[in-house]
Amino acid sequence: MSETLDLREQAIRKWGSDNRAIRKGKWIGKPARRLEDPRYLTGAARYVADLELPRMLHAVYVRSPHPHARIVSIDKSVLPGLGKTVFAFTGEDLRDVPPLIDHVALDNLLRTPQPVIAIGKVRFVGDAVAIVLAADRYAAEDAAELLSSVVEYEELPPVPNVAASGASDAALLFEELGTNEIYREAITHGEVDEAFAKADRVFSTPFEHNRYMAAPMETRGVLADYDRADQQLTVWSSTQMPHFLRSVIAGQLGLPENKVRVIAPEVGGGFGMKMCTVPEEIAIPFIATQLGRPVKWIEDRHEHLIAATHSKQQSINLEVAVTNDGKILGVRGEFVGDGGGYSFNTESALIEPALAAKALPGPYRIENYREEVGAFLTNKSPVAAYRGVGWTAANTARELLFDEAARGLGIDPAEFRRRNMLRSDELPYLSCTGQVYDSGSYLESLDKALEAVDYQAFRQRQEELRQQGRYIGLGISSYVEQTAWGSESSAQAGTPLPSHDNATVTVDPSGKVTVAVSVSSHGQGHETSLAQIAADGLGVDIKDVVLLHGDTSNTPYGLGTYASRSAVIGGATVARAAADVREQILQVAGKMLEASPEDLVIEDGKVSVAGTPSRFKTLADVAYAAHWDSEVRNSEPLLSATRFYDPPANYANGCVVALCEVDADTGVVTLDRIVAVEDCGMVINPMIVEAQVHGAIVQGLGGAMLEHLIYSDEGQPLTTTYMDYLVPTFSDVPPIEVISIETPSPFTVGGIKGMGEGGQIAAPAALANAVADALAPFGARIEKLPITPDYVLRLMGKIG
Amino acid sequence: MKYPLNVRVNGVETSVDVEPHRSLLNVLREDIGLTGPKEGCDDSECGACMVLVDGRPVNSCSYLALQTDGREITTIEGVSEPSCPHSIQQALLEEGGVQCGFCTPGIVMSAKALLDANPSCDEDEVRLALGGNLCRCTGYQKIVRAVLRAAEQLQDRAGTTG
Repeated sequence: MSETLDLREQAIRKWGSDNRAIRKGKWIGKPARRLEDPRYLTGAARYVADLELPRMLHAVYVRSPHPHARIVSIDKSVLPGLGKTVFAFTGEDLRDVPPLIDHVALDNLLRTPQPVIAIGKVRFVGDAVAIVLAADRYAAEDAAELLSSVVEYEELPPVPNVAASGASDAALLFEELGTNEIYREAITHGEVDEAFAKADRVFSTPFEHNRYMAAPMETRGVLADYDRADQQLTVWSSTQMPHFLRSVIAGQLGLPENKVRVIAPEVGGGFGMKMCTVPEEIAIPFIATQLGRPVKWIEDRHEHLIAATHSKQQSINLEVAVTNDGKILGVRGEFVGDGGGYSFNTESALIEPALAAKALPGPYRIENYREEVGAFLTNKSPVAAYRGVGWTAANTARELLFDEAARGLGIDPAEFRRRNMLRSDELPYLSCTGQVYDSGSYLESLDKALEAVDYQAFRQRQEELRQQGRYIGLGISSYVEQTAWGSESSAQAGTPLPSHDNATVTVDPSGKVTVAVSVSSHGQGHETSLAQIAADGLGVDIKDVVLLHGDTSNTPYGLGTYASRSAVIGGATVARAAADVREQILQVAGKMLEASPEDLVIEDGKVSVAGTPSRFKTLADVAYAAHWDSEVRNSEPLLSATRFYDPPANYANGCVVALCEVDADTGVVTLDRIVAVEDCGMVINPMIVEAQVHGAIVQGLGGAMLEHLIYSDEGQPLTTTYMDYLVPTFSDVPPIEVISIETPSPFTVGGIKGMGEGGQIAAPAALANAVADALAPFGARIEKLPITPDYVLRLMGKIG
Repeated sequence: MKYPLNVRVNGVETSVDVEPHRSLLNVLREDIGLTGPKEGCDDSECGACMVLVDGRPVNSCSYLALQTDGREITTIEGVSEPSCPHSIQQALLEEGGVQCGFCTPGIVMSAKALLDANPSCDEDEVRLALGGNLCRCTGYQKIVRAVLRAAEQLQDRAGTTG
């Protein structure tokens, strides 16, 4: 206990004494309707594709049709009007642009520099070979098709998967590395061999996590405009990280950073995919600087499915050593990533296997653990971030194995979890992989979820139906979700990335509030949730708050929105800056009301003397005086403050339970119901939280039941339209109930925890366990996803 | 070679000259300046480009512009005035059925077509009618609730006036 208390004290000391300083008033905790919605609902929202500039050129990519080949020649001279009405750029033309390389600070990770257009060889179907431009997109498409038909390749043997990649005679994606295996490392925590030696039973499972992808409704897109007179580059990109992208573009193109402006206009979903800098975000701006004309590239869906980053694929071998009464003694896990053609910036091919390995313990008391992580290159689209990086795979493999162990030991799966789960009074807890779980409700979440589905009654009904030849199943998936990626969270995840974010809160002379943040909304509703925090901080209505985000020219520097960080970090920066501005307002109002600032309150846009509401000035009056009345203004008259936050790591938690029925004749799984218990600390807007849980769960459902990016043995992608790549539709989704528990983080400002990913982390295991539970009479073991009808029939032994 | 296209778009008589290969979506967005309909797949699979042609929902990405000559087109921009949102828009706002907003125009149009034809729809009918609209953010729950809520309101209103 003393050790855990030390952890708490250390964290609080480290991160400052105003960690709890957040002012709650009328708005925080309310399901406020989203202020941004009217423009989405009326078609007024403008995404990159909706923007037009004079003299704009449309860019279309020529992409490799081969998984692995040398580029022999590209004869641009076939293009009619080349250099006049049609323009084309190849990798050779962009030779001066440095390649993109990951930023992970690990010495033994091999690097795979990626030119922004391929030079010399291509490494996956969809790798960029050339960019063709014309004033009209149809003309550019036609020209790209023509150029594509004359590119000469020398085909190389394809490396379609990890098994082929590791073969002794495998073709090498990067000959200079001498291997396709770019990383291998094993770490032992505790006494693993002893634990396995002492075990009554050992259960193991091989698990192939499928390759699927974020596939946001808005594909990627970039518009770049270079003003040669001012040497000013403006880039509109569908990105989650405008400031970071500005830094990267400036570095790659050798421009002063203050001459680069990045704007993320409306962004139609990102889910992590739009975090990393993609080669297109460098190539398109470069071409704009060369041609001196605006250049727009809008990815089409086919291109997106083959050339945008994929995610999640890895092989996991897990073993758990247990006693006969279900106590976990130790775990061994091997996590091997299938990284695709390049170990992608920003987080490398380790983004899946290394994060999975570190997160494996989850909400359980696991003290002896050996993690081994490997990563291979293959001729497929690179793997990068997607909601629940690594954690989805880890959670799925672990929860499947625990059900397997429970079945093997004859212990109820809920009871098996209870026996090994961390109790609330054991937190803060330092996991064996170095993650500091700040607080939570692991057991309570499990119990609440089971209570909601009436677990005992379900088991009884399941037994009855089995007698009738009907197979219903219930799957449990408990999770912790690492959130609020600042310096500490990313370090605890295993891929350190120092970071902080900032917010500027300003009250103008009319008393209205403008909040400028470095986090960048792409569907999360920041314009509402962060306005709620500012409104409570300043005692105003949320309608009096305007939130600026997504434009590097009017927001302070910071990393942006990913890894469930914006509520915690964005929220804290706004709360802190609003608190400072509140002090400035009270100083002025104190002079106007002839009262001590400490005796004043601000409520409903009025500053009054506490206990004497008739003695007041409106915020508008005070703000006006603060700017124009030299008698009362402050020594720094502006009512404005900029504050930063780099939070301590913190962990949300919850439990997802899924109920299904399997049709024994067809293998079709009908999902009946999903219940999710979510504990993300203090809730800012419960409507937004619920919506995030729904969305994340359905993405997890997609990965578990439908979505699979399939490559042939020759390395050709076979899922290149939405006819082949199945994302969930209105008809695929059962009712989802969300139950909230609020265990505030003792570490963060306001006790807020992030929560964007839990649903996708947990849902696949809940669904897979539900199917495995339904098929328990057949001895079914789920060893891969997605769970398609033919796989179900295989699990039942009905087809070979 | 361009051909004249005469259509009524959101109640306004509109004439443009277009090439025969161009999609309705492309002409709406680039020639008429209505960027509310979105291109999500260009393949009739996602519904982000949904507009109404003579009241029926069509994926405008896969509909030739010239096929609409002499017809009535409604896009998201023509569904309501900002000061007086349509019941579907209001219900989506109140239920929280919007996240990134990219699919929203198409969802509104499909829902409008459904409610115009079948104002007493039930949940199964909503899920079926919107089956051609993909949304990657919401998990659909709140959209379904919103459309049912809008249906209720429209029926209440019809009950009061009728």
